[in-house]
Amino acid sequence: MIRIKNLKKVHANGFIALDEINLHVEKDEFVYLVGPSGAGKSTLLNMLFRADIPTTGEIYINNFSLNNITIRQIPLLRRSIGVIFQDYKLLPRRTVYENVAFALRVLHVERAHIKRQVTQVLELVGLQQKMNHLPSQLSGGEQQRICIARAIVNNPPILLADEPTGSLDPDTSWEIMQLLSKINSRQTTVIVATHNKAIVDDIRKRVVGMEKGRIVRDRQLGMYDDV
Amino acid sequence: MFRDFLFFISEACIGMRRSGIMIFISIATIAVSLIVFGIFLLITVNMNNLADFISSKLELRVFLKHNLSTEELQILQRRIATMTDVKQVVYIDHETAWKQFQDNFKTMDLSDLLEQNPLPDSFRIYLEKNDQIPVLARYLRSFPEVEEVSYQGAIAHRIELFSKFTRVAGLTLVILLTIATLLITVNTIRLTVIARQNEITIMHLVGATHTFIQWPFIIEGLIIGISGASIAVIVIKFFYLFFSIRFQTAIPYVPLVFDSLTLNLIYGFVALMGACLGVLGAYISVSKSLKASI
Ligand SMILES: Nc1ncnc2c1ncn2[C@@H]1O[C@H](COP(=O)(O)OP(=O)(O)OP(=O)(O)O)[C@@H](O)[C@H]1O
Ligand SMILES: [Mg+2]
Repeated sequence: MIRIKNLKKVHANGFIALDEINLHVEKDEFVYLVGPSGAGKSTLLNMLFRADIPTTGEIYINNFSLNNITIRQIPLLRRSIGVIFQDYKLLPRRTVYENVAFALRVLHVERAHIKRQVTQVLELVGLQQKMNHLPSQLSGGEQQRICIARAIVNNPPILLADEPTGSLDPDTSWEIMQLLSKINSRQTTVIVATHNKAIVDDIRKRVVGMEKGRIVRDRQLGMYDDV
Repeated sequence: MFRDFLFFISEACIGMRRSGIMIFISIATIAVSLIVFGIFLLITVNMNNLADFISSKLELRVFLKHNLSTEELQILQRRIATMTDVKQVVYIDHETAWKQFQDNFKTMDLSDLLEQNPLPDSFRIYLEKNDQIPVLARYLRSFPEVEEVSYQGAIAHRIELFSKFTRVAGLTLVILLTIATLLITVNTIRLTVIARQNEITIMHLVGATHTFIQWPFIIEGLIIGISGASIAVIVIKFFYLFFSIRFQTAIPYVPLVFDSLTLNLIYGFVALMGACLGVLGAYISVSKSLKASI
């Protein structure tokens, strides 16, 4: 499903954000990406939907090489990957409903269909009451849940979650992680970058540990602090 | 596709409502540029019209030898009529010429001085274009049947220069004004686009295609362009009406263009310019933003 070969990212200022990254993630897998702040988790996830471009190395998604991707193919790639952004990336002047509906509009989905799916997913993340609010009128945790709703509303085969519980209280964090786990059981590949030790140790999955731009460990049913 | 189109229109309207005052500034800028452009077109058209009017009054006068037969005259007349740029050849026999002369100078009684008509037969030649007058005159002078050729040489030459000048200067300025208007449009619309750069980037990340992001902006540009152009056309129309009446009363013998086809063509052209500039301006500005957000 996802194959990364010898990936390296050197920033313009010479900083090596990723180095010698090799990673295979199969369809249906659920992977935690853990590691200290600045380890390169977000950078790695960004590479997967072409929000960032590697310096060297190869990325394949469904045997499709991102090295040869054309500008026209980028939107298609991004539609097959739902992303929960660390900074949410919501459209500030659109309502909660519009923000989520947008991911379906770009797919040319019918209006009635959009309405049904968006309402459903907003119920799932517990925001059905705030459908017509603007993001700025909601709390951080609520904004994060809009972002989650938008990422999953079109049932993408791949879901990337960058710190999806960063602004959530423990109970909601739990619910959201259960939700991601459920989505994973419906044949969706899920990669979650997180600092949430409690959840990683509780909902046991494959754990990939990163440090200073390198992968330092990779365990099935791992723990947050495995050594 | 139709569903998307409705979505784009509603997006364009939302975008415009949100850009608020900027939209009015864009419309006003386009309107002002197009007013300058339109007035300039009107001036050019009138200059050309004036040049044509004056040159249509220009003529060559060919005075013929006395001893020509009617047949020779007719052959010569037909020959001249088929020459390039010759519009019309009018034969004036010496008696008609004499009568006209006497009519023109009624106060002088010449019959005492001149027993006999001193004027020769002649052709009055009207031309399509006046720039060939000197050449044609020289050519006609070489004919054995021709006694003398006269024309208003200096005036013809000046008008020729003047009309060449208005055409070249007119075209150059129209092109320059078009470019200037486009630049202004791009930059004003660009401001409304930059305000939404963040939005464009996010749309991109969520999988929107370039076209999908562009369409609402292009429709916005079209609406801005047409609104600006409408204002411009109304202003130009009133300006021309007001100005031409004033001008005509002040200098009645100089003809102005009142032909409604020509005027409507100019107004239509200004409107079309507005629409095109709006669309092109929006396209260029949003393309810049799209490049920046990959
Ligand atoms: N444009 C850039 N130029 C130079 N360095 C950069 C640039 N962008 C990111 N970095 C650096 O790359 C490193 C990796 O950042 P990244 O966001 O991937 O970390 P992270 O693992 O997601 O951290 P966190 O857990 O805090 O989200 C950071 O040290 C950051 O300063
Ligand atoms: Mg990060």
